[in-house]
Amino acid sequence: MLTDFGKILIFIILAIVFVIITLLISKLIRPNRPTFEKQKVYECGENPEGSPWVKFNIRFYVVALIFIIFDVEVVLLFPWALIYKEYGIYGFAVGLIFLLILGLGMAYEWRKGDLEWARPQPKPPKLSDILNRNSETLNSN
Amino acid sequence: MSSVPMEYYLILSAFMFIVGVTGVLIRRNAIVVFMCIELMLNSANLSLVTFSSYLGNPIGQIFVFFVMTVAAAEAAVGLAIIIAIFRNKLTVNIDEINIFKW
Amino acid sequence: MTNLYQSILLILPEIVVSSVLIILVLSDLIFHKDKRVIPFIAGLGIIVTGAFVINQFGITGFAFQTSSQTVRNYGMMAIDSFGVFFKLIVTASSLLILFFSHASNEIQKTKDRLGEYYALIFGMILGMFFMISATDMILIYLSMEMMSLSSYVLAGFTKLRDRSSEASLKYLIYGAVSSGLMLFGISIVYGMTGSTNLYVINSLIQAPQINLFALSFAIVLIFAGIGYKISSAPFHFWTPDVYEGAPITITAFLSVASKAAGFALLIRFIKTTFVSYIDSNGSWTLINVFDWKPILIGISILTMTLGNFSALWQDNLKRMLAYSSIAHAGYLLLGLVVFSNQGLIAILIYFIVYLLMNLGAFLIVMLVANKTGSEEIDDYNGLGYTSPLLAVSFAIFLISLTGLPPTAGFIGKLYLFIALVDAKMIFVAVIALLNSVVSLYYYIRVLKHMYLVKPTESTATVVPSLNNRILVLALAAPVLIFGIYFAPIVDLAKNCLVILGL
Repeated sequence: MLTDFGKILIFIILAIVFVIITLLISKLIRPNRPTFEKQKVYECGENPEGSPWVKFNIRFYVVALIFIIFDVEVVLLFPWALIYKEYGIYGFAVGLIFLLILGLGMAYEWRKGDLEWARPQPKPPKLSDILNRNSETLNSN
Repeated sequence: MSSVPMEYYLILSAFMFIVGVTGVLIRRNAIVVFMCIELMLNSANLSLVTFSSYLGNPIGQIFVFFVMTVAAAEAAVGLAIIIAIFRNKLTVNIDEINIFKW
Repeated sequence: MTNLYQSILLILPEIVVSSVLIILVLSDLIFHKDKRVIPFIAGLGIIVTGAFVINQFGITGFAFQTSSQTVRNYGMMAIDSFGVFFKLIVTASSLLILFFSHASNEIQKTKDRLGEYYALIFGMILGMFFMISATDMILIYLSMEMMSLSSYVLAGFTKLRDRSSEASLKYLIYGAVSSGLMLFGISIVYGMTGSTNLYVINSLIQAPQINLFALSFAIVLIFAGIGYKISSAPFHFWTPDVYEGAPITITAFLSVASKAAGFALLIRFIKTTFVSYIDSNGSWTLINVFDWKPILIGISILTMTLGNFSALWQDNLKRMLAYSSIAHAGYLLLGLVVFSNQGLIAILIYFIVYLLMNLGAFLIVMLVANKTGSEEIDDYNGLGYTSPLLAVSFAIFLISLTGLPPTAGFIGKLYLFIALVDAKMIFVAVIALLNSVVSLYYYIRVLKHMYLVKPTESTATVVPSLNNRILVLALAAPVLIFGIYFAPIVDLAKNCLVILGL
């Protein structure tokens, strides 16, 4: 006697077994002649340069953090949206205050410049800097 | 449709909780420690939703909404602090963050 | 509907705090260039809050009543005089902390982020206020997180210092773990009773079909969350590191206000959830589901012993005061283990005293650190000769922290010991007394450095400004006065015993 979840279990098992069997069969019957070109990470196209573990710009984290906060706060609006009519103007005001505070948070981030994407600010090297650097290298030599 | 017994959810939740606690205790990377803490919170969420659904009252689900929000805020604060400490020390390994001694 | 409007009237102090928080954030945006006005807004906000809190004296009621399907109808928050007392403690310490922040070089150096600082302090106050009157697990969890999240950021506020951000990270990890444990405990209690309201839980856990093992497990987990906030023994590891690394103003705030809120929460949690009956002598009868008494006695003895003995070999004064504040958490827990109104009075008295003496000690450390930039005990060599005012007041605070007459600390300890002896727990009282003797060593050691060591050329001559002198005297004088004339604080404590419940 199978329950409904039992059927799902059988389905999952079948899916796993199917994948394993197909992979095994193809492994058995395909020719295996590795060469240097084939073993590269990207078999065609660019050669990988440097380590893949590069550091991201810290701005990505800031934007992601801001996103996650506002994304999750929306969850609190769902229950409110379902019942605010029952509470009349009071219920509406509560939600409005909540949204206003969220908006204030947004304004705060905006004003503090956390939403600005980091623009490169080119610093043309000054003549004095170059001279100093040269004199330092001279001194160290 | 016959339902899954409540115990299954609770066992899964307890398992997640234990994985989270163990992770906090043995992992050394601050970010991984954070992920383990999130796992702990989510295991509590799972058991809250389970109880809420089996007891038939909505308090647990409301609680889960709040826990999710708090978890997001905690993750935000945590990541910000980890970034601050990374700027100072260039590491997020908890063993190397040890100015304070007994 | 009327229920909602009444609830709003009952939580006016909290509403004021949150409006001040919003105003602070707004004014941080408006006064982008010049932040000098922000401390005044914050101070004004605290005073208004205090007025609203005092106005609540004598009012009792439940805010936000939930219409649950169970027998009784209780709310999310209980407004009672016990709560008002702790809210006053929090308000008073916040006001003092605002003055401290104004005097602290460390904080004033972070000019452009001053707005954030005050806003976060108000975030902490808001969390504490809700912690103090919360009677629903949802609100308990939310308010604890509200307070914790603000304090994590504040602990690492001077982010250019390595140790500040390290303190912040440690605080955050310990805090997040303990709140995770607490949440899991709450979910188990919810599963067993189907409610998150403490009063409903109180009536439901008396039913025989409750699984006592699971309930005890859940309670231990919940206690982990609260015990972390009051830094009681097995959960105290964060305290010394955070107290040493955080800015001194925040350290002082954490050691007084956050501890007060934690204790208010613990007492209310135990009293509303586990007390079934209060007899005419004011001693509480616990529901026979969880053996609080031996556990709390063990924890409090462990807490004060660990705190006192670790403090013995600390050379950093901030760290020493951190361990001493752990020990004081142990003493305060002693007032709870007698489970009577008398013990509760002792706790309330002790908190008034603790507020004055602990903040005072931190203030002196801060003023010296302003000048010397360090908190090492060797920098206090001969301070008694170079800066007499500070040294004398420091001596008063330290003697009071030890609990010797004629200071207020003696009165606090006296009431605790009387409560213990009346409850026939002489053995515990003796251990606490021995602990006080141990603590004498490390407090007196500071005095020795200040007075018996000749000043060297590295000894700072700290001449505080007029404001700071007034501040020091305003804290030192009550410590002496309440040591002799303590009737007002005892009366205040006796009037603040109402915890809404049975």
